[in-house]
Amino acid sequence: MSTYTIPVGPLHVALEEPMYFKVEVDGETVRSVDITAGHAHRGVEYLTTKRSIYQNVTLTERICSLCSNSHPEAYCMAIETIAGIELPQRAQYLRVIAGEIKRIASHLFNVAIQAHLVGFDSLFMHVMETREIMQDVKETLFGNRMEIGANTIGGVRFDLDADGLAYLDAQLARLQPILDDIITHYRTNRSFIDRTRGIGVLTHAQALDCGVVGPVARASGIAYDVRVKAPYNAYDRLDVPVQTGTDGDVWSRAIVRLSEARVSIDILRQCAADLPAGETGPRERQIIPAGQTVAKCEAPRGELIYYVKTDGSPNPERVKWRVPSFMNWGALTLMLAEAKVADIALIVNSVDPCISCTER
Amino acid sequence: MSFLKVLFRNLISGPSTDPFPFGETFTPKALRGRVVYDASKCTSCRTCEQVCIGGAIRFDNTPDGRRFLLWHDTCTFCGLCVFYCPQDALEMTTDWHLSHTQDEKFKMVEHGLMPKAACAACGAEYVAVAPTAKAFAGYEPTPEEVEELRQYCPRCRRKEAAKIAAAHPPAIAADPDTPEQGQS
Repeated sequence: MSTYTIPVGPLHVALEEPMYFKVEVDGETVRSVDITAGHAHRGVEYLTTKRSIYQNVTLTERICSLCSNSHPEAYCMAIETIAGIELPQRAQYLRVIAGEIKRIASHLFNVAIQAHLVGFDSLFMHVMETREIMQDVKETLFGNRMEIGANTIGGVRFDLDADGLAYLDAQLARLQPILDDIITHYRTNRSFIDRTRGIGVLTHAQALDCGVVGPVARASGIAYDVRVKAPYNAYDRLDVPVQTGTDGDVWSRAIVRLSEARVSIDILRQCAADLPAGETGPRERQIIPAGQTVAKCEAPRGELIYYVKTDGSPNPERVKWRVPSFMNWGALTLMLAEAKVADIALIVNSVDPCISCTER
Repeated sequence: MSFLKVLFRNLISGPSTDPFPFGETFTPKALRGRVVYDASKCTSCRTCEQVCIGGAIRFDNTPDGRRFLLWHDTCTFCGLCVFYCPQDALEMTTDWHLSHTQDEKFKMVEHGLMPKAACAACGAEYVAVAPTAKAFAGYEPTPEEVEELRQYCPRCRRKEAAKIAAAHPPAIAADPDTPEQGQS
């Protein structure tokens, strides 16, 4: 029997963002995959050098809407290291709060899409409805559903008073039982398990070879989390249990994301309880000296690394970022090997690819 | 089968979406919506123009005075201008009703004018931007004393501020037990 080639993408009903897969199939089985990137390239990296260091806080936030807190967070961390700015204690906790709220919303979005791709649309609607709780939290605390604008160089732009903390606590109390219920559905529902278990397997050894990060690595049994390995902000004072899986399949990755969302609720509660009083950061700009540094943080999709070089002028000389999806989509060729054509979309979504981040 | 419980609960609780546009929708107080500008507070320092990534904010000089323009169709509603404005001249409202037809697109602008005036001391024509407490070099003026400077041109402002500051010599700590201010 001869093989033939199916193009999946760049515009495809099952893909959320433009990405082109040239899939060589033999009957129903995938024989090889060729991934072509570049369909969402907007030249943002070049643009950062044409904008001022302070303008770039907003620009980096708009690279991608799901990781829209992690990009400016890592960028601000890099600029703060160059300028020797120490983050106030309160701002460190507030940054964690912003990051974890975004993480819950991002993970719920991905597992919802996973249910949709399985064909279980009622579950998709249910998870998206649950995610709305976090969307409302973002809108209430930060003023926008996606671009929360929490970070600024040297601090944060928002503050939580007693009302804000009480609101956050009430919403978490509302979310927690529903999320626990959702985790049970993903763990026990036959329709979901039958389509996702043993599909798109990335073994522990393969995961190490590919250098995957984030929930993809943790689902393959690699307990790597920047929040624990290289704590930033207030993470060294918080209890962050790393969630790992063993099977490295589509199901494990969904469960790791759901468990992480559950852990994020606990982290948010710890932050709310320990939140120190004090300043949240300067409201004046300062001159950033020449220097270069690397900063990293744990975005919802994994380790996000920023390299920033400044020359003492208002604009940065170079800003470069290595996004988690860049590491994770390389592993797709291994995950898609010998997969069925009907599972391609499921497997692609299980690495939670962020094309906007990767191709900027 | 446990998912049937969720479906049953949804049947009872009804739609979870807002009835917009036939009813009110969720609009929290912190929502970053349309920006409003108060020309009477603005010192024309242009911080907002410098932090705006979209280039939505412009200042230009007209025969009537200095004009502030905020182009809402280019604004990303990030709120950096509001955050860094030292005078609180910019404010974000919760008004998110920004959809408009093509012929209204040039009206989605926030305008403000800092008018030209004649200096009360030297008579020269100047743009009457808001005065700041910074001009008083060390002395903490009252809001009335700051406001008084508005009628003077920049050069006369410095003179008038110096006069007011000179009339209030800095209090020398007579009591040696009093801790010094400004030490960290």
